[in-house]
Amino acid sequence: MKMTRWLVFAAVSIAAVVFLFPLYVALLMALKSTKQTFESFYALPSSLNLTNFVQAWQTSNYPSAFLNSVIVTVISVVLIVIVSGLSGYAIARGNKPLYTFFYILFLTGMMVPFQVMMLPLYQLGKSFDLLNNYWGIALIYGGFGIQTGVLFYTGFVRSISREIEEAARIDGCSTPGIFVRIIMPLLKPVTATVLVLNVLYIWNDFLLPLLFLQNKGYRTIPLQQYFFFGQYSSDLNLAFAYAIMGLIPIVAFFLFMQRFIVKGIAAGAVKG
Amino acid sequence: MKSLGSMIRREMWYILFLVPGVLLFAFTVITPFLQGVRYSFTNWDGISRKLTYIGWDNYVNAFQDPVVLTVLGNTFKYAIILTIVVNVISVLLALLLDSYLPLRNLFRTIFFLPGIISVVLAGFIWSYNYSQGVPKLLSYFGLDVTSPLGNPDQALIGLIIVAVWQGVGTPMIIYLAGLQNIPAELMESARIDGAGPVRIFRSVTLPLLAPSVTINMLLVLTGALKVFDLVFVTTNGGPAFATEVIATFIYKNAFSSYKAGYGMALSMIFFVILVIVTIVQVSFFRKREVEV
Repeated sequence: MKMTRWLVFAAVSIAAVVFLFPLYVALLMALKSTKQTFESFYALPSSLNLTNFVQAWQTSNYPSAFLNSVIVTVISVVLIVIVSGLSGYAIARGNKPLYTFFYILFLTGMMVPFQVMMLPLYQLGKSFDLLNNYWGIALIYGGFGIQTGVLFYTGFVRSISREIEEAARIDGCSTPGIFVRIIMPLLKPVTATVLVLNVLYIWNDFLLPLLFLQNKGYRTIPLQQYFFFGQYSSDLNLAFAYAIMGLIPIVAFFLFMQRFIVKGIAAGAVKG
Repeated sequence: MKSLGSMIRREMWYILFLVPGVLLFAFTVITPFLQGVRYSFTNWDGISRKLTYIGWDNYVNAFQDPVVLTVLGNTFKYAIILTIVVNVISVLLALLLDSYLPLRNLFRTIFFLPGIISVVLAGFIWSYNYSQGVPKLLSYFGLDVTSPLGNPDQALIGLIIVAVWQGVGTPMIIYLAGLQNIPAELMESARIDGAGPVRIFRSVTLPLLAPSVTINMLLVLTGALKVFDLVFVTTNGGPAFATEVIATFIYKNAFSSYKAGYGMALSMIFFVILVIVTIVQVSFFRKREVEV
């Protein structure tokens, strides 16, 4: 029995090493100069050398891309949480066919592939002056995000007992008062789920920024990396330093929020 | 009388709460969708102001276009292989991590980590690993390999490997959650009855894990059918159409070949395919689920 335990451990360890290998190569590249890479591909650098990072920082406008990613992600996620929280509450509590109709409409929307809406959205963006600013793209992420958001919030509100609300109502509390004072504090766990899942998606998304944020000043990290890799395809060590820089914020977010991410995915699977 | 008044007031608030969501959804999903339907019946080039309605011509052309068949073939081949491989690996990892393994939380983090990297980055890292890292490593063992992404026969498999690397994390977590819902007594009693680990997995674990299988199959398959970023940033459909998939093909028609009308017709066909796949799959797997 002990023997099998060790075999399993060894197998999982080997799998883990295979999974980490591409990232190890990337880190190695970022820490070495072109000459060092040429001399020995897999050797560790003789000393810690951050020249590539300094140079990538100077040539890439990284702080601007980072800020753009943060702004777009934050506006979108706040919009998603507020709008889908309100809609989810209304759908869960207003027991009418009208609400069920919109609920099903939101769910059907999830099946429409982005390609169907891609070109019309671009046209819409052009005519409403939504290209190359934060609000336009956040509005679209909002519209996409509320579909799953409503699913989560409706399910969660349905599981909250109505008794507290009724008591508050008898004490003279209005519907918005009930929502703000009683429901909102209870929504924290489901909000965490909606938040982390959307942050991961929006932060890493590529196609929508490619269409909506073509102006250099508005590029998010994935988009800027795409252009940076194209531009510095000859200086790979520099490009990899930039790649590692792009990785740091999302990996940090993941490590801090891992508990919520794991819970959120498991909850999402049950809802689905 | 007072209660009727407050009932109506309450209902008004609910409708008011729903308004922002409905407006946002109408603006970002319904309007573009209906526009897309309209464009699909025109020969619009994507730029000019002139629209000419040409009836079902775009749809007829799509069904006669041999490239569309190749593209559909690539997409389904990619999606089906990916779905099977991702699910097999993530079930295995979940089973192994569900036991009392040392460092299991660290392992879970490691297997999930590639999934949070943007596809642009993953594509870049793997392109380089394929062209330099892996050949250099294998040359120590006397093997001579070149990047699969440059070879029409291997490019799709090359992309599938990247997608597996990025894709096992989420299904693994869903399977782990599913495994934790299975009562331990069931496996215990199967073991007492003399069943081996494989038999227990086949007769007890797998049937009870069926809801997780349904959701994971669906998530991975529909996600894989929609693949865009990975192809766009690594091979851009090449070499020789070997990795051209529906999403990249539609993108090229809409934005670079001046065949927006045709591209929209293709995306409508794509939408119908996705709906059919979803319905067929859900009804196929739901039948195999059992209650605890």
